[in-house]
Order: sequence, then C-alpha cells, then structure tokens
Amino acid sequence: MIPLSRFIRCLLLLSIVTISLAYGQETQIRGFAEFHTTYQKDKLQFGLGEQDLFITSDLGNRFSFLGESVFKFEDASPTLFNVSVERIIIKYNFSGNHNLLVGKHHTPLNYWNDTYHHGRVFFPTIYRPDMFNEHVIPLHTTGIGLQGHDLGTLRFGYDLMVGNGIGNGSNDVSDNNREKAFIGAVHIKPVDGMKTGVSYYHDVISAGEAHGHDGPILKEINQQLFSGSIAYFGKKFEFLAEGTYAMDKNDSTGTKNTQAGYVYAGYRIRDIVPYIRADYLKVPAGELYFTHDTRTSLVIGIRDEINYLTVVKLEFQHSESDYTGNSNFVTAQIAVGF
Amino acid sequence: MRGTPAMKSISKTLLLTLFMYSIAMVTRAQETGEKIMLIANPKGAPAEMKMSDVKSVFRGEKQRWADGTQISIAMMKTSTPIGEVISHKIYNMNGNELNKFWLALVFQGKAKAPVFFNTREELETYIKITPGSIGVVEEDGSRTLTPLVIDGKKAL
Repeated sequence: MIPLSRFIRCLLLLSIVTISLAYGQETQIRGFAEFHTTYQKDKLQFGLGEQDLFITSDLGNRFSFLGESVFKFEDASPTLFNVSVERIIIKYNFSGNHNLLVGKHHTPLNYWNDTYHHGRVFFPTIYRPDMFNEHVIPLHTTGIGLQGHDLGTLRFGYDLMVGNGIGNGSNDVSDNNREKAFIGAVHIKPVDGMKTGVSYYHDVISAGEAHGHDGPILKEINQQLFSGSIAYFGKKFEFLAEGTYAMDKNDSTGTKNTQAGYVYAGYRIRDIVPYIRADYLKVPAGELYFTHDTRTSLVIGIRDEINYLTVVKLEFQHSESDYTGNSNFVTAQIAVGF
Repeated sequence: MRGTPAMKSISKTLLLTLFMYSIAMVTRAQETGEKIMLIANPKGAPAEMKMSDVKSVFRGEKQRWADGTQISIAMMKTSTPIGEVISHKIYNMNGNELNKFWLALVFQGKAKAPVFFNTREELETYIKITPGSIGVVEEDGSRTLTPLVIDGKKAL
C-alpha cells in the first residue's frame, strides 16, 4: 500500500508535468545515473547508484518549477528499490534577482549540498564527504525561503529559509512541534569560479527522533550549526574547503560541540583531473544526536571528464575511525547525465 | 652536400614543421577572425551595453531587464562552428565546458537554460517573437535584426 503522502507528491509531480506539456511550456526532463565497483578486503562488488530524475518547467512570467526524484536501492522495499522525492520547488521571481521559494529544498548550508544535490556527474569525487555520511548537515527541509543572487560587484547572494526541520514526526507534510528550522546563508563570488560563504542553522530536535547508530534520541536537543566554505573551480586549479561547527544542547548532558570538515584539491590537465580530499570529523562523548567518533579519511583519485554528460572516476580511500576501525578500499565509477 | 640523406631528412622535417605551423596559424586566424554580433527583441534589452553586462546576462547572473521583462538567452548549439566561437568569445569556454556550465546552473535551480538552435534563421525567428530575448549570431554583413552596440561596437 503506497503511503498517502507519497501518492500525493507523485500526483502533484505528474500533474505539473502533464499540464506544462499540454500548454507547451518549456519543460525539460533530464536524468542522472551512476554505476560503481568497489574492491575492499579482497572482495570485488558492483553497485547500482541512484537514478536521478530532474524536471524543470517555466510556468509563466515569474513562476517556475523544479523537481528532483531519486530511484535507489532500498533493502526494506519489496521491489528492492524505492523512490525518494528530493526536491520540489516552486519559485516566484518577484523582483530582479530575488526569489520566493516554496517546497522541499536542499538546505543551502554549504557549497556541496547547494551545488551538487544528487547529480553524481557533477561530484568532484565519487562519494560525498564524511560529514554528509554522519548527517552533520541536514540535507533537506520543507518550507519557504527567500533567495537572492549575483547582487552588486561582489555578486552577493543570500538564502533565508524556514522549514519543518528535523524531529520525530517532522517530515515533508507535517511538523511535530511549533519549533521551526531556520537557515540563514550568505555568500559572495569575488572572481569567476570562486564562491565563499557562511551559514547558520537552528532547530529543536524532539525526543524520539531516530538517528545514528544508537537509536532514538531520548532528550530534546537544541541544535545550532555554524558553517563556512570557500570554493574555487578554475581552468586549472580546483579547491573546496568546508567546515561545520555543531552545538547540540540538551538538559541531561549540556552542550556538546561537533567539528566536521574537509578539504579538496584538484589540478586539471585537459579533461583529466587528479585530486585529493581529506576529511575530519570529531563527535565528542555525551553527544546525543551524532554518533560519538573521531574519524579521518584520505581520498586520492583521478577523474576523466569524457564530456559534460559522462565522467569516470577512480579512487582510493583510507579511513580511520574510533567507532568502525580502519578501512581501505578502491572504487571506480561511471556517472552519466541524459 | 646537396642531396645527402641527412640533408633530405632535415629538409623534410623543416617543411613538415612549417606546414603544420601554417595550418595552426590559419586555424587560429579563422577562430579569432570570426566576428559575432548580439541581437535582441526590442522589448527588454537596451540598445547599448557594456561587455561586462553582456557576460553577466549570458552567465545567468541577471534574470530581468531594467523594465522587468524576463531575460531569455538564445544561442547557436555548441556543435555548430559559430557556436564554438561564441563559447570562446562570450564565456572563455569551449563548447563542452559551456554545456556543463549551463547544465549545472539549471540543476542548482539558479537560472533558466538558454534556448539552443541549429540554424541562424530559427534563432532570429525566436528573437523576433520572444520579448526579453537576446541572442548571438555570426556577423556576416546581413542585417535581419539591428545589432546591439557593445562597448561602442556592433561586432565583436
């Protein structure tokens, strides 16, 4: 039995596509997919990645629509695959470069989440940085936002967003409490290819929210995230560094501070980009939301951009974790757009 | 001395090098010799613009003209010879880089994709009927639409 909320979302998406096609709107349907193979502990295995369906449509003079749905492997699903609606955004351009956004968004908390979404062909490395695997950054929120971009000589941009946030019962169709997640982000693009910014996130995560490896949290958590990033993707050099400082406060263990970040660098030789990435994550003991761990990773890889729709990557990753131990693995991936 | 194997080999090498260099120079002349001009629908774009503003428009950094009309960009496909020239002159990118640039921008939800055309006639028809549209075509002397003046020039 398909849940009602998922049925409604699919119906909404189908309606928008049908209506826009019927009226000859400028609707574009694109997709992204990836296939990978991993060698670890003397075992080689193949994996099918997410298939990303991406739809945009110009609905009228000032309205536009963006939808992103992902089909991915889900062990618990009877068909072993599941559909996840990642973004549904209705945008109203009310003035110049200023927009009102409603729907489900990728939170604009850092460069990676705001730029790459689920399009693996755009990823500079095969996998997302470790801070995403540990869910330090809340990837999505459903709500309403104001956005501005390319303002002035420094091409200033801003995002202000209010959403349902995280919590047991907070999801794409409802919020379990009166507390809303708030996001504020600003950035500048001083030169072509460069973007630097900071962001702030606040939410109250209610008890009962299942997260991490330790099961549902038992206490309400007041969460604040402070993030900063600097990115430069030029003709030759590529550089991306991001960090997040999380402050989780609760009545029993007080305030615990988590640090997460990574640095990526690459050098382009025509269509080939050798690259390196170092990740760092430190979650203190007593932290209730994130899993207590100190983790470092080193990724060394090479990326071949055959064309803008076809990218092949080969990576070696070494990780050291207090929680999961050390690991080494090699991954090859082909990511495509269509 | 004349006609020795070594001299013949050196001569052949020099001739081949000169030939390759000439081809490169002719090709380069063709690439930089191509002139382009900007055309626009009468509603929206100003008659004169700075090159910095043109680049801002064509990078999707500007969504509306001063009168509030939505900007719509029309370009020749990068697979056409003039499309490749436009990529270099306006964006300082090759065709593949340009396609990636726009796909990424649209994917991020930051801008509306340009409309790409196979022929100049199709592009000019689009410009004529679409308020707010601006496009780039080869400057070949024909004047179906009045070109915009960019930094004091009608051709780039």
